[in-house]
Amino acid sequence: MKLTRREFAAGIAAGLAAPTVVTSARAQSATIKIGMCAPVTGPAAESGGYAIKGAKLALEAVNKAGGILGKQAELIIEDDQTTNPGIVLAFSKLAAQTDIVAFLGSIRSTQVHAISPDVMKLGKPVMIGGTDPTLTHMGNQWLFRFRPNDSYSGRVIADYGVNVLGKKKWAVLHSTDAFGTAGGKALSSALEKLGAPSVLDQGYANQSQDFTPVVLAIKQSGADILGSYFTFENDLGIFARQLRQLGVNIPWVGSPSIVNITALKLAGPALYGTYGVADYAEESSEGSKAFGKAYRELAKVAPDNQSSWPYDAVTVLAAGINKAGTTDPVKVREAILSIKKFPGAEGEYNFDQNGDGLHGYNIVRNEKGTIVFDKHIEFND
Amino acid sequence: MDLVLQLLFTGIGIGAVYALVALGFVLIFRATNVVNFAQGEFSMVAAYLMVVCVEMGLPYWLSFVLALVGMALLGVIFNLGVYYPLRHRTYLPVIIATIGASILLANSVLAIYGPQPQVLQGWFETPGIQLGPVYLDSQYLLIIAVTIALVIFNYWFFEHTMLGKKLQATSQDKEMASLLGISVSTMIMITFIYSAVLGGLAGILVAPILFVSIQMGSTIALKAFAATIIGGFGDVAGAIIGGLALGVIETFGAAYVSVPYKDGFAFLVLVAFLVFRPQGIFGERVAEKA
Amino acid sequence: MSVGSDNMPATAPAVSTRPAFVRHAPYFIAAAIVVALAASMQFDGYVLNILMQATTFSIAVFGLSVVLGLCGQINLAQAAFFGFGAYAVGIGTTDLQMNYWLCLVAGCLAALAAGAFLGMSTLRLGGHYLAMVTISFQQIVTLVMINAIWLTHGPDGVSRIGRPALFTTSQGYLAFCVAMLAIVGYLVWHLPDTKLGRAMRAVRDNELAAGVNGIDVFRTKVSAFAICAALGGLAGGLFAGGFAYVSPDQFSFAESIVFLTMSLLGGVASPIGSAIGTGLLILIPEWLRFLKSVPGLYLAIYGLFVILIIRFMPDGIWGFVAAALDKWRTKIKTSPATKTLQLKPAMVGGDIVLEVQGLAKHFGGLKAVDNVDIAVRRGGVHALIGPNGSGKTTTLNVLSGLYKATSGRILLDGVDITTMPPHQRTAAGLGRTFQNIRLFRSMTALENVEIGAERPGNTMIGAGGGAALTERAMEALTFVGLGSRANEPITSFSYGHQRLIEIARALASNPTLLLLDEPAAGLNSTEKLELHELLKRIAAQGLTILIIDHDMTLVSEAAQHITVLNFGRRIADGESMAVLRHPDVVSAYLGSE
Repeated sequence: MKLTRREFAAGIAAGLAAPTVVTSARAQSATIKIGMCAPVTGPAAESGGYAIKGAKLALEAVNKAGGILGKQAELIIEDDQTTNPGIVLAFSKLAAQTDIVAFLGSIRSTQVHAISPDVMKLGKPVMIGGTDPTLTHMGNQWLFRFRPNDSYSGRVIADYGVNVLGKKKWAVLHSTDAFGTAGGKALSSALEKLGAPSVLDQGYANQSQDFTPVVLAIKQSGADILGSYFTFENDLGIFARQLRQLGVNIPWVGSPSIVNITALKLAGPALYGTYGVADYAEESSEGSKAFGKAYRELAKVAPDNQSSWPYDAVTVLAAGINKAGTTDPVKVREAILSIKKFPGAEGEYNFDQNGDGLHGYNIVRNEKGTIVFDKHIEFND
Repeated sequence: MDLVLQLLFTGIGIGAVYALVALGFVLIFRATNVVNFAQGEFSMVAAYLMVVCVEMGLPYWLSFVLALVGMALLGVIFNLGVYYPLRHRTYLPVIIATIGASILLANSVLAIYGPQPQVLQGWFETPGIQLGPVYLDSQYLLIIAVTIALVIFNYWFFEHTMLGKKLQATSQDKEMASLLGISVSTMIMITFIYSAVLGGLAGILVAPILFVSIQMGSTIALKAFAATIIGGFGDVAGAIIGGLALGVIETFGAAYVSVPYKDGFAFLVLVAFLVFRPQGIFGERVAEKA
Repeated sequence: MSVGSDNMPATAPAVSTRPAFVRHAPYFIAAAIVVALAASMQFDGYVLNILMQATTFSIAVFGLSVVLGLCGQINLAQAAFFGFGAYAVGIGTTDLQMNYWLCLVAGCLAALAAGAFLGMSTLRLGGHYLAMVTISFQQIVTLVMINAIWLTHGPDGVSRIGRPALFTTSQGYLAFCVAMLAIVGYLVWHLPDTKLGRAMRAVRDNELAAGVNGIDVFRTKVSAFAICAALGGLAGGLFAGGFAYVSPDQFSFAESIVFLTMSLLGGVASPIGSAIGTGLLILIPEWLRFLKSVPGLYLAIYGLFVILIIRFMPDGIWGFVAAALDKWRTKIKTSPATKTLQLKPAMVGGDIVLEVQGLAKHFGGLKAVDNVDIAVRRGGVHALIGPNGSGKTTTLNVLSGLYKATSGRILLDGVDITTMPPHQRTAAGLGRTFQNIRLFRSMTALENVEIGAERPGNTMIGAGGGAALTERAMEALTFVGLGSRANEPITSFSYGHQRLIEIARALASNPTLLLLDEPAAGLNSTEKLELHELLKRIAAQGLTILIIDHDMTLVSEAAQHITVLNFGRRIADGESMAVLRHPDVVSAYLGSE
């Protein structure tokens, strides 16, 4: 390397000066603006791209059908960098634009937690995909959820295992991050209500290299069914293999990660015959099929929940504002909460007073590596 | 009892992985007095090289050889780009530079290959054997065998070959070594190559169990690091024993104390060692010469 | 823990005629203007958040500039300490409904205690261990934040964190944070010129020399570490109030690396550099968003830059700028001291200043020093000679406490110093120089000698004020003939002059006994003559000298008394001329027939 200190310093200076070009020329046009925080960068950049495509697909449909309040709708996207500080910055940047009427938040619960205080302060509707049940139960009236929350996934897993598979001795396994903890809690309490309290409730830290102690604990507990919340596919893969190696073959109903493509690739045969809950399942309804077809044409990849919830969020938001006849936040809120039996890609939306739009999950099955829709379980409360 | 045996096997298996990576740490530390924070990324890069080769349709053994050759090259680049320019500075800049290198390596692979974990097949068709109540994973058996073989090889290499002796001399006293006509910079280069290959070997061996992911190296490296301190910094046998001990402690700790805090045991043991026996199991405390 | 608050700049003695707060008035006026701007200018939420982040992060990075820049110790757990403060304010103001100020203080104290504990458990060991232990600590803290849900709410984090009643608006709170930044920045800026700060720099430059110059190396390091942790805690507490939400991923190992890089990028040695580095590393990611569309690319470049900065800009951006500015600054010539250096060695004991009885030092099986007795008379020059490998330097190192004696007793003026650490021996009246010169290379000659003058127990500096220190140091430098070059950095002096500065450093401390380790090594003949003259002038003031040297001319002319070692044993002892003619000595040097 023949770089002198001086050259290096000059390089840094040039590098710093270059990007100070002003980026946004705010177009002052007669559009209705919707802000969206999405992971354009960072670890979830790939799924962030899916989310944006889903939202744009819905936006196109809305605009084709006459737009919002007679105006064309526009999406203002801000990068949340897949981090909590990142989304706080992104959201504050969007919130500073007073002509934005509503927002799309994040699919990650911790990120929604992070912006929640700012959302309260701002007082405008924010559509979210994070599934931590507490998000809509902590007094923040401006969050509207477009995926069934984890209390439902827990209830669906419990209901399916107890009532359909007829198993009562449960082992519950969950990661100790926000997602896993909330999910595990929901599943355990659902099991208790069904009169089948878990015989083992085990947490594990993400990126564990070995699950032998966990598998042996499951074996020893005498459980006859396993319910799980895994965050990362490689953990799921290692666990699945060790589970089978050590001779545990009890039925297994898992959170959505158990049926995602990466997990299927990593774990292979170890996951055959398992069940999973999925908020988006392509064959579950007409709305899901229609979205799947449109999305495949646009994105050239299979549709998933990353893209389906923003799609629904934009569609429902547009319907809500149109119903309210104004962009006044309070009126929009009331309009969204009054939406019932609205068919979306994820399922049928029936908003409750907390802002939860969906109240059920699909159960899917791993048939030798292909995912098959089994049934939809819906709750009315 | 069955439970204990099963845990013991797994503990030794995962411990052998730590030991392999720890070996790489120790060699570089002895030669340069520098802790290489990018050692874990060596393992990760090697596993990805292996995946690339296998996906190109090359035979497994050839992929293996190519991946290790790639690691040797990386060792050369690492030495020339990160260590060599800073060799006359204190340990602090070097540590920070290796941290930078670890960030660079991990994220370069991420940029090229994306965040999805990859699958690498194991050496053997059979995934494992049932021996009485204990299931022995064939890949873990292989790792344990390789670790034993490497211990023997290292002993032979450092004690009975001229090159090994030269390396030893260099790591003990650079000035003396150069007076004896040993090219110190060549010896350091060889050390980096050997250590990168060792790290790579660990990565390739462990990949079929842990899958190939960006983080695979850093998690193992931290533990391996703890193992080297427990074993006594700079001691080859200590690193092996430390690694094995850590694997076993961790596995039993998870089974009998707490699964979520599993990663904490390694660090608690480490801190305990630093406070009560900083020279490690084997090491001798060496005072700085005035 | 002994983070001496009395060492903080607030009590820094006024050196110049005007009091410090007058001389630094421009700083405070500027700070007040910035605070007023922060409070009054209309920012949108985005700018506000960026500023809030930059302000609070800067304070945490100031901490690193103390531990890494000043004291040369690594800390890879700053994010954990940051988290201590953030969680203290977070949990305190929400779950416990406590007063914000109380929480902020509690967070600082918790971080301080954790930092001090961590430091005490590992700072005796080398830097690699410290790196490893701080990483371990960081990992454990992260695990606890995630898993101790009853306390920390686990991964959900703590939301709706309170702010103090005075600063409930975001702008008001920002102004408050900026004010804190200004205050902490001021303190950190002036820390290097305090006793503790000088000690830290000495430890960073040369630990051994710091020890033998009376600095408690361990305590200094622990103090630096604790201050760093406390600043991390303070920054975290401010951060929590600013963003009203904290979660474990904000305090991970990766964040510690970010803090470290901020510190390195700006320049680890000064708070200005810290602020620059922090600002840039918060803004650059905002500018370089386009790089982030490929996951990993941005961080890969980031990693590359860390390597390049270390390689090409070891002192960071500010260090680079400051070095350039220095070239333009004219060198201030100092006027030599007018008073002559007074050496008033303590005269507590009897005729024998240093008494060594049966001293032994074994390295494993090697008996480097074995059963040696030495008695150094007051007011004379005593030489310790012997062929290479005879154990001379080992003896000296045992005497000054760098090695622990295997057996035997060392009495200095009647005080048993056998088990004392180096800095206590220095306090007891021992001064020494090194064969391979050990000066504090980042400092000026004057600063080096000031550290010597600052020895605990030095009666020649009065109450120990800054002016007295400088005066004493100037006298010592003038004594060795370098008074006019006092403000030059060590690196600009020749080898021989560096040796003189080292002697001046020892003299400034007014020792009872001066140990000189091969002072003539590497000197040319003129310099040797000057050295001889200097030794005479020192001895003339009644200071006792124990000298090791190979130069027989120097030894035989300067010393009245000689002890000869060979293979670690004493083979002769007595009046110079007699000893030099002793047959055992002759055969030891020339080999027996």
